[in-house]
Amino acid sequence: MPRTCFNALTIWIIFLLCFIRCTSNEAPRVETEDNTTKTGDSGPIIVRLKWLYNTSVAGEIWARESGIFKARGLTVRLREGGPEQDAIKDLELGRAHFGVASADQVIRAASKGAHVVVLAQIFQVNPLQWIYDRGKLAIAKPQDLKGLCVGVTYGGNDEAILSALLRMYKIDPDDLELYAVHYDFNPFWKGEVELWPVYRNTQGIILRGKMAQSGKQAGFFNPAAFGIRFVANSIITSKKVYSEQPQLVRDFTEAVLEGWRDAMDPELELKVAGTIHRLDPDTPVSVIQHQLAETRTLVVPESPGAIGTIDIRAWRQTAEILATQGLISHKVDITSLLAGPPP
Amino acid sequence: MRTLKRLFQFISIYAVALGLLWGVKIVYGFSDYLIPPPLEVLQVAGQNGLIYVKAVLDTLAVAIAGHMVAIVLATVVGLVGRLSSWPGNLTRTAAYNLQAYPIVAVAPIIFLFLGDGLASRLLIAAMICYFPLLLSFIGIFAQPVEEVEHFFRITGRINWRLELSIRTFENLDKITTVIVGSGTMALVGTIIAEFLAATNGIGYIIRKALYQSNLAKILVALFLIGLCSSLYLSFIETIGVWIKNRLHGEKTCLARASTP
Amino acid sequence: MHIACRHLHYTYPGADSPVFNNLDWTLEGPGFFALFGLSGTGKSTLARLISGELSPGQGEIDCPKTGCILYTHNAERIPGWGTVGAHLRSVTPASKTSLLSTILKDYGMEAYLESRFSGLSMGQKNRINLARYLVQEFDLLIADEVLANVDEPTRNHILERLKILFPQKTFLYISHNVLEVARFSQAVYVLPHASAAGTDRIHKITGLGHQEGREASEELVQERVYAILRSAASTSEPRP
Repeated sequence: MPRTCFNALTIWIIFLLCFIRCTSNEAPRVETEDNTTKTGDSGPIIVRLKWLYNTSVAGEIWARESGIFKARGLTVRLREGGPEQDAIKDLELGRAHFGVASADQVIRAASKGAHVVVLAQIFQVNPLQWIYDRGKLAIAKPQDLKGLCVGVTYGGNDEAILSALLRMYKIDPDDLELYAVHYDFNPFWKGEVELWPVYRNTQGIILRGKMAQSGKQAGFFNPAAFGIRFVANSIITSKKVYSEQPQLVRDFTEAVLEGWRDAMDPELELKVAGTIHRLDPDTPVSVIQHQLAETRTLVVPESPGAIGTIDIRAWRQTAEILATQGLISHKVDITSLLAGPPP
Repeated sequence: MRTLKRLFQFISIYAVALGLLWGVKIVYGFSDYLIPPPLEVLQVAGQNGLIYVKAVLDTLAVAIAGHMVAIVLATVVGLVGRLSSWPGNLTRTAAYNLQAYPIVAVAPIIFLFLGDGLASRLLIAAMICYFPLLLSFIGIFAQPVEEVEHFFRITGRINWRLELSIRTFENLDKITTVIVGSGTMALVGTIIAEFLAATNGIGYIIRKALYQSNLAKILVALFLIGLCSSLYLSFIETIGVWIKNRLHGEKTCLARASTP
Repeated sequence: MHIACRHLHYTYPGADSPVFNNLDWTLEGPGFFALFGLSGTGKSTLARLISGELSPGQGEIDCPKTGCILYTHNAERIPGWGTVGAHLRSVTPASKTSLLSTILKDYGMEAYLESRFSGLSMGQKNRINLARYLVQEFDLLIADEVLANVDEPTRNHILERLKILFPQKTFLYISHNVLEVARFSQAVYVLPHASAAGTDRIHKITGLGHQEGREASEELVQERVYAILRSAASTSEPRP
């Protein structure tokens, strides 16, 4: 390669490395009350959510909007998630202090050396379930799935959950017809697909309502009821933040859990629904209220004071499912992952 | 030679990009979750290589079919668009205005009505490369090549077939360039369509890999996409050069090789 | 062959001033005539008006109803997908094939029939282009700089042969070569500089081409050349 080309390439590589260095660990900027931006460890806290603003992050939203974070001296900025967003990558790149991720994301990342810890487990029951028309189908046990057309998101955690269920109950996947789903519900409406994966506390409520309008009664097939415990949303942070800023981690975790306790309080349901509606204007308040009621059954364990409890056995089962299906190549020490808030 | 050159260029650029990625990984100490190591990429390639090759060939087949459909459609509509009467004016106006609209934005609606099978992917692939072809073809077919057409016009020999032959021949370079460029767009459009809502092809593979945040799979998929794209584009370019040489009466490589 | 322009007026679209304004002109064929003028005086414009490629803004151009007027210029090319010979064979009527052979032999182009047009020199291209026009049916051929890239001896030979092969045809030869037009044309029509109001007259100067078999003297040639140049340098003034 001519010398000039080599020199030019070297200069470009150095420039790009410096550019990335300058931008990757930039402390996130946060809007303060007087609309000036501040940087620095003491002020702004960035939280990357798993998805868009909806009922599944009711606690985080309420904690910010009702002033719970502020009362503890925390200026928090929530950033919406999405299919291209990954809270764990944001933590590693220093773009966020905290995040919301599902157990499969955490375990997969940990198996590849990501330094992440779990502070609290929000969903005690996985909201990912399958909706179906109870007028047409009666599904009392997993074996009733045989011969049915079941929607599954290939690559998603519903694929992992379904595979685990079929394996547990020794059901041959060829006994089902699997349909690859995407954003469009039409195949379910048309009856081409009999079971469709939904998040019970968000999409599930909306679809149930639409089915009711058509005179249909929605049923939900819940794998957790049959022993498949696949952990969903949890609050996470990086090991670096956890070890270097324990007070921050403690304050934030307590604030988020307080936010969840309030968000799951039936007496505050209308207020919480109104708050979520401001950030999710496409969903009516009445629907959000139903979603909150459903979320309560998934988030609140038998003892309300124990919102956020980490279920180690469920985490172990999740790791086992991922390992069995070859979704992780290295075993993960679950115990070291599940730190909980600093003592 | 052209094909080898293109492949070499692509592999070089890909290698440099990967090198840069791993350089960043080493310098900043990123985990394997964020940037997979070379070994993981090779393992993924080994385990999934055949599936990915089939998927990318599936995508390429759809892209090529869509590209051909777009060329034929653009030729037919371009023939209408060259007319100075109202159908020609209407066609030109519609083409110029519609080409500004992002077809990819309409893709979800196409999937809604046509489902996620071959028809949707083919339609999106065809539509995404259709308008640049159409605009070029209208321009070429409507623009007289006065120096060549004059004799036929003044001696009363001109007809629409001769006009088109002359204008096509005189603009072969331009036509080849726009076809090669639109070939890339056809492949891009097909991948985007698969990414959005299909259940086949390499775009679908990439979507699944994104769900799992598996960059190793994405890197392998991108390599295969680049490889196929380079092969297809160099193939079109070679065909264009061959046609041009045949028409211009220059000997092709094969003919030169066989001439004592 | 009789061509008459009466009160001819033409302005190019978007131009501020007309090229021709109330121009009257006649051409009586057969014979070899030249149209001369400095650059931009409207030679090619007049040629295109007569051949029907352009339509006058006002005025009339009288052409014989049954006559055929062809116009050719030196930028023309033949289609590149075939050989020169194939193209010439495709555009030559059956009755003119021997004429074509004669012309090609005269122009020294027989050896190039299997070549592509793009492979010829500029002068060769000029000759092939002229040859294909000469085998068409025409009464008036307007040749606009068609031999501009041909060397002088060959050009002289071509023009001589033209008059011999087509004694009953009318040629209007447009050229910047004042010596050539003076020597070969029986009349030279000179377009003067246009005034702001446009050209309204064409000067006619007798050429030396009518003197068959007699070589004109150098003095006579010089005198005609000066007359043509003086005429070309004059400015066309609007008639009262």
